[in-house]
Amino acid sequence: MKMTMTAALACTTAMFGAAAAAQTTTIGITQNNVGVDSYQTTYERAFIAAAEANPDVDVIVLDAGGDVARQLAQMEDLIQQEVDVIIIWPTNGEAVIPAVRRAHNAGIPVVVTNSNIAEPGFDFIRSFSGPDNVTQGSRSAEIMCERFTELGIENEARVVQISGQPGYTTAIERQQGFDERLPEVCPNVTLVETQPGDWNRERSQQVMEAFLIKYDDIDGVYSGDDNMGIGALNAARAAGREGIVFVGATNFAVGYDAMAEGDYWGSIYQSPVDDAEAALQTAIDILNGEDVPFLNYFDTPKITQENMDEFTKPVF
Amino acid sequence: MTIMTKQHVVTFVAKQGILIAFVLFMVGFAIANQRFIAMDNILGVVRSSAIIGVMALGVTFVVIGGNLDLSVGSMMSFSTIVVLDLHDKVGPAMAIPIMFALTLLLGAFIGFLVGYLKLNSLIVTLGMLSAIHGLTLTWSGGQNMDIADKSGTWFSFFGQDRLLGIPVPILVFGLLAVVLSLLLSKTAFGRQVYAVGGNGQAATFSGIPRARIVFLTYLVSSFCVATAGLLQASRSLGSQNTVGQGLELTVLAAVILGGASLLGGSGTVFKTVIGVLILGFIQNGLLLVGLDFYVQYMVTWAIIILAVWLDVAAKRGRLWSPIA
Amino acid sequence: MTSQNRRDLIKQSGIWVFIVVELAFFSIVGNYLSVSDQAFMDFDNMLLLLKQSAPIGIIALGMTIIMINGNIDLSVGATFALAAIVLLDSMTWPFMQNLGNWAIPLAWGFALMTGVVLGAINGLIVWKTGVDAFIVTLGSMLGFRGLVFMYNGEQPTSHLNWTLVDFAEAQFLGLHTATWFLLGTALVLWLVTTRTNHGRNAYAVGNNRDAAVNAGIRVGPHIMWNFMLIGFLAALSAVVFYSESGSVNPNDGMLYELWAITAVVLGGTKLAGGYGSIIGTLGGVIAIQLLRKGLGHIGADTQTVNLVIGLILIAVLVMDRQLNRQGKEELKI
Repeated sequence: MKMTMTAALACTTAMFGAAAAAQTTTIGITQNNVGVDSYQTTYERAFIAAAEANPDVDVIVLDAGGDVARQLAQMEDLIQQEVDVIIIWPTNGEAVIPAVRRAHNAGIPVVVTNSNIAEPGFDFIRSFSGPDNVTQGSRSAEIMCERFTELGIENEARVVQISGQPGYTTAIERQQGFDERLPEVCPNVTLVETQPGDWNRERSQQVMEAFLIKYDDIDGVYSGDDNMGIGALNAARAAGREGIVFVGATNFAVGYDAMAEGDYWGSIYQSPVDDAEAALQTAIDILNGEDVPFLNYFDTPKITQENMDEFTKPVF
Repeated sequence: MTIMTKQHVVTFVAKQGILIAFVLFMVGFAIANQRFIAMDNILGVVRSSAIIGVMALGVTFVVIGGNLDLSVGSMMSFSTIVVLDLHDKVGPAMAIPIMFALTLLLGAFIGFLVGYLKLNSLIVTLGMLSAIHGLTLTWSGGQNMDIADKSGTWFSFFGQDRLLGIPVPILVFGLLAVVLSLLLSKTAFGRQVYAVGGNGQAATFSGIPRARIVFLTYLVSSFCVATAGLLQASRSLGSQNTVGQGLELTVLAAVILGGASLLGGSGTVFKTVIGVLILGFIQNGLLLVGLDFYVQYMVTWAIIILAVWLDVAAKRGRLWSPIA
Repeated sequence: MTSQNRRDLIKQSGIWVFIVVELAFFSIVGNYLSVSDQAFMDFDNMLLLLKQSAPIGIIALGMTIIMINGNIDLSVGATFALAAIVLLDSMTWPFMQNLGNWAIPLAWGFALMTGVVLGAINGLIVWKTGVDAFIVTLGSMLGFRGLVFMYNGEQPTSHLNWTLVDFAEAQFLGLHTATWFLLGTALVLWLVTTRTNHGRNAYAVGNNRDAAVNAGIRVGPHIMWNFMLIGFLAALSAVVFYSESGSVNPNDGMLYELWAITAVVLGGTKLAGGYGSIIGTLGGVIAIQLLRKGLGHIGADTQTVNLVIGLILIAVLVMDRQLNRQGKEELKI
């Protein structure tokens, strides 16, 4: 809030000096659900910080609180305020399409960040800026398969999956990548069951508790992000079940720590700071009339206990 | 004569209905799946119900006093985040009492508004649900809270250790249930809670300090919430800001299932414990027989309405409502 | 009697005074804090405000009658979600697809019927068992949500129909489709509560149920009609909103019951029943949406929004209490 305020005050001051005002552009962002986990909070901070560092840009930062209706209202507000670009982090990849079309019709370019919208909406956006989640899912499958091979259980291992929030494009794509890649690299590993953990550590812990009740033999757990992965790890610890290979995505600080302690095997390294800066840069590039790739991915490498020294601990 | 017998049966079923239902459930699930009554499964269910259970104990006091508390979920998130944050800053020995003090302060604020200012508890606690969530986010800056050194702290004792072979959360839940049950049934304060909830007006005339009693029920409730937050924090040693979100209604369902009337004046701690266990075992039992989680929603719906229906039917002496 | 009337007038105008204060505050503060060049009180922005109030607003209007009855409905959020699923899913049924655009009114009909049926279930249980509406609808809040998940697991239900979207986005005489529905509902319900027998009965039942029974009002069916009405309105709200969005998550509509109740109480309706007005509720709905919009306009962050909304709710309750107490009983602590 303080940062926005400073940026805004700077803007008001600038408006008195008329020359500078003409240069400034306004970028509006409507985020999914800030405060629900550290990734989204860190993203918001990084976004505001990046915008602050750029004197030509003012930002309007809104949060939909996970509610589709509120996000649609915020899109309308941003269109009404005639911002120059809208960045949207969709609460639901399909429900926001009509709102995105409205912005498109009003001549405002839209950038989707972090989690893409569904395909029928592609005509109305200029670019998607974020991670390649299908590839992330396949990479997680590879990490898990490689580990099973090292342990010599690649022909019998049984895996459960805790996916992200249903309907959320990131969750769908990661699951898709994992589901497709696992049988290619490890054809004899069985994926026993997939249940959603809603990106929520507590929920994921409950889902894992249920898995542990139902199945006596679990060798691997793939979670849609480390936050859920840690929930699953906690459940396994409480039940005294050892030797399970945990693989996640979006490496969180807790996941990094658990890896260092040897409890958690691997993940995908994805920085919310990169994510936020990429989204802002994409928006600025569009304003400057530069060519922007339609799918503007930033790289998200594999991280495991073996190569984790090459990465700094995530800040979230 | 037959009518009398029928009425007797209705009355008996209604009074002990929740216990009968509980026994039937247990027997049914045990037949469906042997694993259901294995000791480790039972302990597992009670342990995972303990956090809801501890909160339900406190809400029982509020409900018997004739009010509602919808803020417990939000407040539990607050307690969890605060104790985790302070753990690394001032150490667990200091963090726990500070967290309890802050949570009790929130409870006192609600108690002041509902008890002394006589504001409607539904709306006050609804407002606090939102306000406390804001407070939690302000405290944490929206970040997840994690204890840095997870293996080196004795703080994990409350949520993860066992004492005499029994998981500590179960012991905490049991101990608190016994203490609060005594407080409610054996002390002057307990009788006053029933009196205030049963008939607030009459209680005022008979010299019972209504405002103070209502205030105290919210203190009891927030104390229980703080305990639940402690268990939660200790169980996971790290948490999101939304950890308690939505629990208020589950807790309320457990209390109602235990037979506490929302009009106030009735209910016991023991029955609330039964209500909590029923919810826990239904969830576990349905899972073991391979049904989806949403079946649990519908089963809960049915038994809440049946339980309360039987209760009011017993009181008025006839099954169907007299309103035309 | 006149002093009673005057007090009623003060109470009813309270919410509109609050709205004016909000407008003034956000306009002035917005001048300093907002990044946008647009004024907060811009005419188009005010039109949007009405449109954005519609989803909660239509539900809250119906909740007013339920609360005048002395009842409450906690299941409206789940009804909202289930009606939305029926709306979107029914358009993908084979026979519906053969109907072309005629499928749209039919889908609306199915969704609205779903709402009426769910409301009737609640009403029937309240009527026949005599269990308090709070408990009945707390139960069905879970039960209806279970039905939502049963329909399509945890997956969202989606169907994007551009004809439908165009209709929902259309403007007639400057007002959006959703606004027309909001204002239309308000008008109909205002007439019902102030001009009809049913409306008078609603107040009578809420004031004193036993007396209402003695006066020959068929209280049971009366209550059931009102639950069918709110089921219908929850579905109508879903129909209006999801025509424009085309995808529903199984968790959508959660907490809507609490926002609707909040709006009704802000509008001056008594939780105990027997007192309340549709116009007041409309004010309550607008006040909440204005607060959200305004806080966004001046750049408040998530935690501030939560904190402020919660505390304002309590503050309004305190002020309302004071107004009610005037001359009767001094505040004692």
